[in-house]
Parts: sequence; C-alpha cells; structure tokens
Amino acid sequence: MEKVKKPIFEGKVWAERIKVTIISAILAALANMIYTWRLPNLEMVSFFEALPGVGIMVGIVFVSYLLYDLLKGVLPFQVPSILFVAIITTLLSFEGICGGFATYMIDNFNKIQLLPLCTPILSYAAISVGRDLDTFKKQGFAIICVALITFFGTYIGSTIIAEVVLRISGVI
Amino acid sequence: MKEFLENLKLKDWKVHLWCLGILVVSELIGTMVFTIKLSGSESAGISFSLFPMLYAIVIGIILASMKKIPKQVMDTASPYVGLSCMLLITKMSSSIGPAWGDIVKAGPALILQEFGNLGTIVFALPVAVLVFKMGREAVGASFSISREPSLAIIADKYGLDSPEGSGIMGAYITGTVLGTVFNGIMASLLVAANIFHPYALAMACGTGSSSMMAAALAPIVEAFPDMAETLNAYAAASQTLSSADGLYMSLLLGIPFTNWLYKVLKGKKAAKAEQGGAN
Repeated sequence: MEKVKKPIFEGKVWAERIKVTIISAILAALANMIYTWRLPNLEMVSFFEALPGVGIMVGIVFVSYLLYDLLKGVLPFQVPSILFVAIITTLLSFEGICGGFATYMIDNFNKIQLLPLCTPILSYAAISVGRDLDTFKKQGFAIICVALITFFGTYIGSTIIAEVVLRISGVI
Repeated sequence: MKEFLENLKLKDWKVHLWCLGILVVSELIGTMVFTIKLSGSESAGISFSLFPMLYAIVIGIILASMKKIPKQVMDTASPYVGLSCMLLITKMSSSIGPAWGDIVKAGPALILQEFGNLGTIVFALPVAVLVFKMGREAVGASFSISREPSLAIIADKYGLDSPEGSGIMGAYITGTVLGTVFNGIMASLLVAANIFHPYALAMACGTGSSSMMAAALAPIVEAFPDMAETLNAYAAASQTLSSADGLYMSLLLGIPFTNWLYKVLKGKKAAKAEQGGAN
C-alpha cells in the first residue's frame, strides 16, 4: 500500500485553530471588560475598545501558524509554533522596524490587561481538568509533592541566578 | 477543504458555552487580596492575591467532582487549552520591543538564569528518592516541570508505559491541576518575603509553561505596578528563551544529570540491581 502523505495544511487542525483563537479573543475582550470594571484603580475598557487589540493578536497568531506549517518539513529541527508567535510579535513591537504600526499595536495591547488574557486559557483547562482527576487521585501524595517541588526548584533556581548576575552586572 | 468547513461549524458549542460561563463567574468574583498579619511583628505582614484564573480551575474541579461536565466535552476542550495560550504570548512578547534597552542591559542574567530551570532536579530528586523512596518514577517526575515538551522527551526515550513515564504523567497532571494555583501563591509569598529584586523574580517566571508564567508574574506586577512594562518584558524574554532552549536543555543536561544524581542517591549497587531487573 502506498503511504499517504499528510498535506501541509490539515483541514481539521486549521478549523480548530481558527475557531478557538477567535473565540478566545472574544472571551478575552469580555474578561478584560469585567476585570477593568471590577478594579477601582483602572478605567473600564469596553468590549469594543478591546477589539482592535485582540484583532491584531489573532492576526499574528494566524500568520505564525501559516509559517509553522510551511516550515515544518523544511527546518532540520523542531520549532514549536509558540516560538513563531513570540518572534513575530517581538519584531512587530520595535518602533525601529515597524514604525507607526508598533506604536499602534502597543497602544491597543495596553488596553488589554495580562490577567484577563489568562482567564480563557484556564477556563478551557477547567473544563478538561476532570479527565485527569481519577488518574491524579491514584498517583497519591508523593507525586504531588515531588511535582510541586519541581515548580519551586525551577523558580527559585532561576531567581537566585538572576539576582546574583543582575547584582554583579550592576543592573540592580 | 470539506473537512475544514465541516470542523469550522460550532458543533462544539457546549465547550465554548461552559468556558464562557466559567470565565464570567471567575471574573465577577474578581481579584482578592489576603493579608496575613504576623502577631508581634511590626511589618505589614505577608499578603498574597487570588486571581480569576485560579477560581476558574477550582470551579472546574468542583464541576468535575459533581460530574456535571460530560466526558465528550472534556475531551474536546483539552487541546483548546494550548491553542488559547497563543494570544497571551502575543501580549507578553509585545513588551520586548519597547523595553529592549533594559533587556540588553540584563542580557547576561537572562541567559544564565535559564540554567536555573535545572534547579528542579537538585530540589525534587532527593525528596523523591530519600523521603518518598520512589524508584525510577522519580527520574521522570524530577528532571523538569513536566510540561508537554518533557512528556515528548520521556515518551521518546523511555516510553510512557515505563516507570519514568508514569512518573512524568503524575507530575504532568499535578501541574495541570495545581500548577497555576501553586505558582501564584509561591510568587506572592516570595514578593512578600522581600528577599529578591522584582526583576529577578520576573525573569524566573519564564519556565516554559505559559499559564504558570502568567500565574507567577501576576502578583509581581500587581505589587510593583510602576515597573510593569519592564517586568513583563523580562518574563517574556525569559519565556521565549525557555521555549527555545527548554527541549535541548532537558535532553542534553537535565536527563543525564538526573540519572547521575539518581545513582548517587540510591547508591551504585541498588541502581545497578534496578537496571538489571529492568532488562
């Protein structure tokens, strides 16, 4: 039997990407509205005011997926799609490279707070968390402790090195 | 193309509706700040914040234990978590350009703190082996913070049915359920402890997991709003570095070091007997 070659652009994958990215963006704009409304020291950013910002975000994400798919078979090593998103946005955020667009993008991103962007992620995680709950119970207390210590160890390890190097190099 | 259009339909509307419900409730509860006053001390005490994203997970756990969410909805929602992370990454990365001067100044610290991600081994492996008397599971669970790239490494090297595999699966689930809550509270306490500079704390947030980074960064930015831009930029730069080097760091340094330390901790004989048993 002949081996079926996977197409570069897979229909199901792209449908999910487009759907979830756009819905997350709408949810983030909504979360942002409630979040800024609830906080006394921030002025409320309405749903519609947030739309240009999340719109640019969605655009960047789609371009990144496109590049990811196109380069998947070409590059000799694996590059996670998240890295494309990070690199493209970083380049766009330099005024020296993108001029007025950089300013426009950052102005609009500033209307959207960091935390409301996390709430859609964690809400999807909340829905699927039940799947793992049974396995989780069986694993017992030991594995929970060890996993939590790994988070602590990673964090404190990086903090200590950063603190020492920042002090030696005179940044702080 | 047909497949594309078929999947574009909102047949999974239930998932998104659940998501909307959880999101709105979590946001309406809003950020809560807790202050623990230490009796007899003159300082302001330790304060930490709980954020909407943490309530979301708690609501999820409650709904799941009440068996309110159908299995099919759970399965559909699972891959959506990773997809919805992307928007957050754009927000984070957009702070790098404006703060470029600061990042270059902090360059050496940013690069070197990446090796701190190996700190997990030094802390977690001795506890796993000496306190909990775990076997090879300890290697799988301790060499990293057990996110998706690490799962891929273990699956590739040992297989997920191996002891190392079951170790990392347990840690992976722990991270999914408790990771954000734990990181949020840990960062809040470290901010309150006032030992480290907020710059160092922000850089350490980039560990390779977007949701954990966000959870850890939030209390730091909340405590130092004047530095928000720089703190965001440091965390984003560190996160970008981690997602680029994490895989290679684990493969080339993390796993060999964990295996070496495991042998030291178990004693050569015991480790050899185990390996003999496995073969």
